[in-house]
Amino acid sequence: MIRRLTLMLLSVGAIAVSGLALAQESPLRVGMSGGYFPFTFVEQDTLKGFEVDVMNAVGEEMGREVAFVTANFSGLFGMLESGRIDTIANQITITDEREAKYAFTKPYVYDGAQVVTKRGNDEISGVEDLRGKRVAVNLGSNYEQLLRELPYADDIDIRTYESNIEQDTALGRVDAFVMDRVSASQVIKEKPLPLQLAGQPFSEIHNALPFRDTEEGRALRDDVDAALDALRDDGTLSEISERWFGTDITRP
Amino acid sequence: MSVLDLDYMLGLVPILLSYLPLTLAMAAAGMVLALALACGLAVIRVLKIPGLNAATLLFISFFRGTPLLVQLFLFYYGLPQVLSFLTQIGGITATIMGLTLHFSAYMAESIRAAIVGVDRSQTEAALSIGMTNGQLMRRIVLPQATRVAVPTLMNYFIDMIKATSLAFTLGVTELMGATQKEAAGSFLYFEAFITVAVIYWGIVELLAWCQRRLEHRLNEAYRR
Repeated sequence: MIRRLTLMLLSVGAIAVSGLALAQESPLRVGMSGGYFPFTFVEQDTLKGFEVDVMNAVGEEMGREVAFVTANFSGLFGMLESGRIDTIANQITITDEREAKYAFTKPYVYDGAQVVTKRGNDEISGVEDLRGKRVAVNLGSNYEQLLRELPYADDIDIRTYESNIEQDTALGRVDAFVMDRVSASQVIKEKPLPLQLAGQPFSEIHNALPFRDTEEGRALRDDVDAALDALRDDGTLSEISERWFGTDITRP
Repeated sequence: MSVLDLDYMLGLVPILLSYLPLTLAMAAAGMVLALALACGLAVIRVLKIPGLNAATLLFISFFRGTPLLVQLFLFYYGLPQVLSFLTQIGGITATIMGLTLHFSAYMAESIRAAIVGVDRSQTEAALSIGMTNGQLMRRIVLPQATRVAVPTLMNYFIDMIKATSLAFTLGVTELMGATQKEAAGSFLYFEAFITVAVIYWGIVELLAWCQRRLEHRLNEAYRR
């Protein structure tokens, strides 16, 4: 009887210990929308994209498994905030507001904000032509902020979308949308939507990984930053970028 | 660009169907729990149990008076900032809890209406032949109330299946979440959303057929 009890206690202990060990090696939980081609998207039930490759490389460099969590973009910062994920890999742009609240890694993507219109729309050839126009941006993205900072922001009819801004521009329901230059070019090149770039990018954008601004979060940020540095130095980041974009967007 | 890329749609069907079990499981779990909770709430309302009755009124008022999406966000992203242990609750559990609380408020009212709707003469007759309150409920009132309540409860179940499409905002990739991500990869929105619409529609039609059979059985006693 006692022996059996000891055995039971031992096995419970063993499970607890192995549980602890597991907790130590818990995967790096990375949130993304899965809906931002070509950074994070799904094809044939497989999550793919630039961000996926970068984070997998980071995980490999750190010797840590990476667990991807997909959710609507509007839910991602809530998940980070409530500790359900460790960071967000979704072209998160560093802004003053975000920097005050989160601990960011160094930028790993250098990009610009780009106006995109329906193909054949020659009325708009840049951000200065957006006066009096309907312009779509993604909810929670910083492009809305960028537009609102323009001196003539009040004359722009800014529409905030949960998703599908490319589609609504192609349908003509809005006159233009604003997103980063890299994904905009990629969308136009690879997807069957009648869209065109309107003029040059109008604002410089630095993308990085946000972590919770706690002791734990900052420590994790430092580890990830070190891994990113190593990947930058050995050319892995450039290589991933070349693969997806045919150009290196990971350097200024 | 052709009108409809049928090959893409056909390829999408098995992928999307693999997410159907999760959608149905969340709806089924939500339905069972909501039904149990709603019965409790309805009984409190019918018997007007002091104290509990007021609490129930407040509960129903809140969960009927705010959108499900607001409740899900409040519960999943808002509350954990105050009560950190709530982060232990995963997206699937949170969705089921949200569906349960939200729909139980509606269902409690339709169950209450069904109970109250049983003719008073039935109660009087049962009491006059010496039935206890328990017997009265079990043998006379509830069977008749069930028959009245079934169509509306099925309606809520159908609604609940469709409401699971909100779960992707909590990071749960169910039927709709999977569709949104596939559409983002292919940019074939029309194809992707038609496919998922047909899948939802088919499921609901199947349920409607079950409902007709169930109602047929429950109406047996009333057929001439």
